Amino acid sequence: MAEILLKEVKVIEEISAKFKIDGKVQRERRVWVTIDKDNLIALCNFVKELGFEHLSAISVTDWPQEGRFELTYHLWSYSEKILLTIKTKIDRANPIVDSVVPVWQENAQIHEREFHELFGVEFEGNEDLAPLFLEDWDGPPPFRKDFDWREYTRQKYYNKENEREQAYYD
Amino acid sequence: MVEQATKMKRLINAIWIFNWFNSCGFTELFPLVGSRWDMERFGMIITGTPRHADVLFIAGYQTMKSIRRAQVIYEQMPDPKAVIALGACTMSGGMYWDSYNTVKRLTDYIPVNIYIPGCPPRPEAVFEACMKIFHHVGAVPPHGRKFAKAHSG
Amino acid sequence: MNANRLTTIEQIAPITEEGTDYDFYFGPAHSGSGNFGVKLKIDGEKVVSARADPGYLHRGFEKLMEYRVPMQNAVLSDRVCVLEALNWNLVHAEAVDELTGVEVPQRARYIRVLMAELSRLQSHLIWYGAMSLGIGFDTGFKIAFGYRDYILDLFELITGGRVYPAGYICPGGVRRDLPDGSEDKIKRVLAQTEDVMQKMKDFDNAVFSSRTRGVGILRTEDAIRLGATGPVLRACGVEADVRRDDPYEIYNELDFSIPVREEGDAYARYLVMGKEMEESIGIIKQVLERIPEGKVREPQKITPPSRVKIPEGEVYVRNELARGEGCAYMRSVGGREPYRVKLRGPDLLHMIPVLEHLLKGAQIADIPTIYWSLNICPADMDR
Repeated sequence: MAEILLKEVKVIEEISAKFKIDGKVQRERRVWVTIDKDNLIALCNFVKELGFEHLSAISVTDWPQEGRFELTYHLWSYSEKILLTIKTKIDRANPIVDSVVPVWQENAQIHEREFHELFGVEFEGNEDLAPLFLEDWDGPPPFRKDFDWREYTRQKYYNKENEREQAYYD
Repeated sequence: MVEQATKMKRLINAIWIFNWFNSCGFTELFPLVGSRWDMERFGMIITGTPRHADVLFIAGYQTMKSIRRAQVIYEQMPDPKAVIALGACTMSGGMYWDSYNTVKRLTDYIPVNIYIPGCPPRPEAVFEACMKIFHHVGAVPPHGRKFAKAHSG
Repeated sequence: MNANRLTTIEQIAPITEEGTDYDFYFGPAHSGSGNFGVKLKIDGEKVVSARADPGYLHRGFEKLMEYRVPMQNAVLSDRVCVLEALNWNLVHAEAVDELTGVEVPQRARYIRVLMAELSRLQSHLIWYGAMSLGIGFDTGFKIAFGYRDYILDLFELITGGRVYPAGYICPGGVRRDLPDGSEDKIKRVLAQTEDVMQKMKDFDNAVFSSRTRGVGILRTEDAIRLGATGPVLRACGVEADVRRDDPYEIYNELDFSIPVREEGDAYARYLVMGKEMEESIGIIKQVLERIPEGKVREPQKITPPSRVKIPEGEVYVRNELARGEGCAYMRSVGGREPYRVKLRGPDLLHMIPVLEHLLKGAQIADIPTIYWSLNICPADMDR
């Protein structure tokens, strides 16, 4: 059992030799690493040299009680066959982070454009952050936790006087 | 179904559908064109321009962006025309009743003639609705006749 | 003599200083996929640049899942991309299983793989039908959709729904066992599918290949940078398949090969698709031979959803859909509903970076061929 996780442990050792991280091996082929937001770009350049050339997804999680956004970058290596996830936290009131477009180019650019529209995160260094899905949207960023969808649809789409729609108001 | 079809031929020859194949419902409109359910034997084909079409299928949910285009297409279709609304999403919001971007009641935006329940409805249900449309179109007087009557006297 | 004729035409209809540039909007009504538009700048007959215009089908899926418990999400998860409903069902069920740590029974795993491969078969038949429609080959379209219906009959027999299986692959296994006699019916449908694949080989004549050969070439060094996965990547010479590299369910016990082509054009993608259908049929036959007895759901006793809590944790699940790599990131804080679900589909990358790159420099007449050869589903992109 121990030899199966040898590659994953080696990845964590190589990274922690250069950066201050909080790493763990969840199971085979899954490595999770948490880092400070200031060292993010340096770490991304380093892991791309290690062979993590495919950016599978970027994701943003909203933690309103803490006042932070958490970004996760999921990277896959075709040669080592390991999935590495990099997690970092940024301030929610002023969400600015360095863009990873210089590292993974068009693949990262489209993901960042999506999260700029849905969460309101600013990616510094990404020139094309035009709206992707919504047309003429002037409300708050829709995927944040403080934008209640059920309240919004009740006001905008449903009618309280209509007796067939009473069920939506209970 | 074959007996109904021959009766319908006296009322109307064919209905042509515009391919506004938007969302989930369109996967059950495709087998209608295929060789198993074969709607062409009833005279129904799919055209590429709304000017040639008689019937507009709204197959499933519409978002705020696509309902504007659907309204433009509806206005471009010539009379007599009909709108068939497919699926639960057009009646009450369906699966996405609490989504911020989908249209909940389709009649607020486009006048609908027939609703077909289901998620998605089976091809047999779509055929039954099309037979009802044959009745409807036969009952509407052609535009010219109404115009002539109004101006003769 | 020719020079005199040219001079006369020049005098009647001279090319003005503005040239022959114009803007063109391709879409949003396509016969064969959902709504999706591309803004093109065209010079004469050649495309100069392209910009994708998505968002016609955006429902906000990921936040809808935060309002529902996992058993409700199992029914909602098939609607991410309607053309491969069971595969997305499987992605969601695997994510919840890994979070709760439940041990899915072996028989349920074999049934899950069987349904996923059947779904891949019918999705490739849709790909073939839509691609023939784009090329102008009507017979192929009608035959593909006619034969696909037999697979939908199988879905109705096993799960209860032709297109949407109502959450058949749920967290903990599958909802109910295969009915009696389904094995013979599956073998009969496989024979019919081999029939239609033989027809596809017969249709692969000079006309079909001349419209697709050399069109929409994606080079190997661009493919990974632009984010291509699945058959699009395998047609460029990269041997990568999630079922082989990152195995899930029981794929590490099965014997199948991965088709790879070098050219990267639309014809290579079509050939990869054909070989993948053969491999899927082989996988289904192996599953039918090896499937063990046992229960199909863990836990057997159904707990009311209001009492089930997902343990705290985060997980990232990768699957091989018919179109490429489909993943789900799920984060839970110990409540009844998941805290955050992120669904990554293959089509966001195929429709925006890859399509814009391939359309640059293409002829107008080739635009439908390039568009349909990438096998895209706008519902998966907009979510």
